[in-house]
This record gives sequence, C-alpha cells and structure tokens, in this order.
Amino acid sequence: MPFGKSENSKEKELDAGERAESATVKYLVESLQAVQKENELLKMQLAKSRQVPAGRIGFVLLIFGVLALAGSIWSASTVLAFIGLGITFWGALFLFVRPIRFVKEALLEWNAISSYKIIDRIIDDLGYKGKALYIPPYPKDVYLPEYLKGLKEMVVLIPDKDTAAMPTIEEMAKGQFIVENPRGICITPPGFGVMSLFEKELRLDFTKLAPERFPSVLPKLATSDLQLARNVQISTDKSLVHVKIEGSAYKDLYSQERGLKSIHLVGCPLASAIACALSKATGRLVAIMKDEISPDLKTIELWLQVLEG
Amino acid sequence: MQFPLSTSEIILWLAFTAIILLVTSELMSPYSEQFGDFVIEKSRLRIAALVLGVAFIVTVLVRVVAPI
Repeated sequence: MPFGKSENSKEKELDAGERAESATVKYLVESLQAVQKENELLKMQLAKSRQVPAGRIGFVLLIFGVLALAGSIWSASTVLAFIGLGITFWGALFLFVRPIRFVKEALLEWNAISSYKIIDRIIDDLGYKGKALYIPPYPKDVYLPEYLKGLKEMVVLIPDKDTAAMPTIEEMAKGQFIVENPRGICITPPGFGVMSLFEKELRLDFTKLAPERFPSVLPKLATSDLQLARNVQISTDKSLVHVKIEGSAYKDLYSQERGLKSIHLVGCPLASAIACALSKATGRLVAIMKDEISPDLKTIELWLQVLEG
Repeated sequence: MQFPLSTSEIILWLAFTAIILLVTSELMSPYSEQFGDFVIEKSRLRIAALVLGVAFIVTVLVRVVAPI
C-alpha cells in the first residue's frame, strides 16, 4: 500500500507539472501573439509616419500661393505678389518632382534571393559545376517560324563542366530546360528583367547597339538612369571585358551569410544584365570567368569573356 | 486692379529661383534622391531649374532687343 500511495502521489505531481508546463507554454504563446500583433501595429504606424504626403503639401502651397497672388492684385501689394509667386511656384514644383513610386533598395535584393536559391538547389542536385554561358538570342524584329520562336529568348546555360559549346538549335528552339549536348540546364538569366529595363530606357534593342559603344552606354544606364549602382566601369581588352561595380543595390547577395553559390556562376541581377547585354550586342557567347568581391561588399569586379564561334 | 510686379521684378525673381534650383540640383548627391523624409525625382527638379534658367535668359534677351 505505501508503495501504491507514493506512485499515486508521483503521478499527481507529474500531472501537476505537465499542467503547469502547458499553462506556461499557452501563456507564452499568447504573449508572443500579443507582442507580434503589437509589432505589426507599430510597423504600420512607423510606415504611416514615414510617408510624407508631398502631393498634399504641394496642393496646400498652390492654394495659398494663388490666394496670395489674388490678394496682391486686390491690394496692389508687391510684397504679397512676391510671396504668392514663390509659394505658387514651390507648390507646383512639389507636385512636379513627386516621384511616381519608389521602393526600398532592400526589396530588390530580397526579391532576387529566391531565384538564386532555386538555381542553387538545381545545380547542387544535378552536380553541375561548369561556368555559365550567356547565349545571345535572335533580334526581336527578325522573322522566325513558330517552331523556332524559342531562339528569340535570352538564356544562360549552366553546363555540367566547363565548355565553350552551345546547345543545338533544336534544343534551343524547343526552349528545353535540360539540354544534352553539351549536358547542362538552360535558364532565363536573373538579370533578364534588368536588361529589358535597360533596353526600355535606351529605346534600343541591344542587338542593334555597336559593341564599341557598350562601355560608355551601360554605366550611365546603371548609375544615373536606374541608380542600381553608384559607379560602374567597363573596360575591354580584346575579348575580355572587365566590369567594376561600386555600391551595387544587389551587393548583399554576395555576402557569405547568404551562402549563395549560383551568384558567382551567373552573377547578381546587375552583373547578369550586363552579361546579357554584352552577349546581345556582340552576338556571341559570354562567360563569367571570375568575380572578386571586396570584404565590405562595396566593390564587385567581374571578368567576362566573349567567346568566339 | 492690376498685377503689382513689373517685368524687371519678375526677371529678378526668375533669376533668383533659377539659381537656387540649379545649385540644388547640382549639389544633390548623384546616388541618393532623398532629402530627409522627402523622396524626389532629381531629373524633374533639374528640368524645372533649366526651364526657369532659360526663361530668365529669354526675358533678358527680350529686354536687350526691345528695352521697355
């Protein structure tokens, strides 16, 4: 009997302990949910306070300015006229210089991560280790029969081992993902979108851009027009193209914490866009031979090779 | 009732504002378009500054060609 009693008391103690533990967990979960809710609310409030209504300020200034101008005519006051002119002008300027829409720079990077993770998984799974080859597409305005339409798509080939060969026309035309000769995968380059934006800004297909204009046109597009980097320098030495990017918006993709392997194969979206543009402009295969990233990630250097054939 | 500013006063105002805007657009960092909490389109600010500058030059030329 005493043995049974002690067992019962032990069971009771265990039950009480479990109940106390579950109550604590429940309490912690509830507290966590409450804190998360509060966090969301604070985030919303912060975002709200950060949004300066430039448009509204512009309208208010415009209204006051027009009233001051009207008042100056009514009272024949030069001072009021100057005030009115100034306020009206600044109101109009506020409305004029208001950006269409800006997004945070970090969004670009976070958006791109998933593509690189997918490429990482694919090449890890297939064990491909070759240098990526950017394959130039046919110009957009060239007529191609329906079954060859795939040749107009910009693709990057990641082969199983280093090669300078491109897939057969049939494989390219079909838009195949896995190609056999040479063995590898054909994917849309991560910088395809950025390159299309370059073309849109330039109002020119890169296939129509003279290769010698490339080092002067691209840096301006990437820096002052689209502001994807603080400085871009492109220099050519025969078939080798050296690209130096400073203050890239995508620099954090190269950080070791991210651990992305494919970024060194196909380049960040900006580097990839430059490789795409180079491939289109020269009409040749382009390989990223080497990349060097400074420890603070501020400078990215790439060596691109324009391959013959 | 008539507008109280004369042509020369408007020219002066144009010159003053054009200089302020041109200097601002030139001094703005080429990388950032953010003034504290404001985000602006720098190219448009530059256009506005250039338009005012040209307007000032035109008014000066008009005064030189046909002095009032």
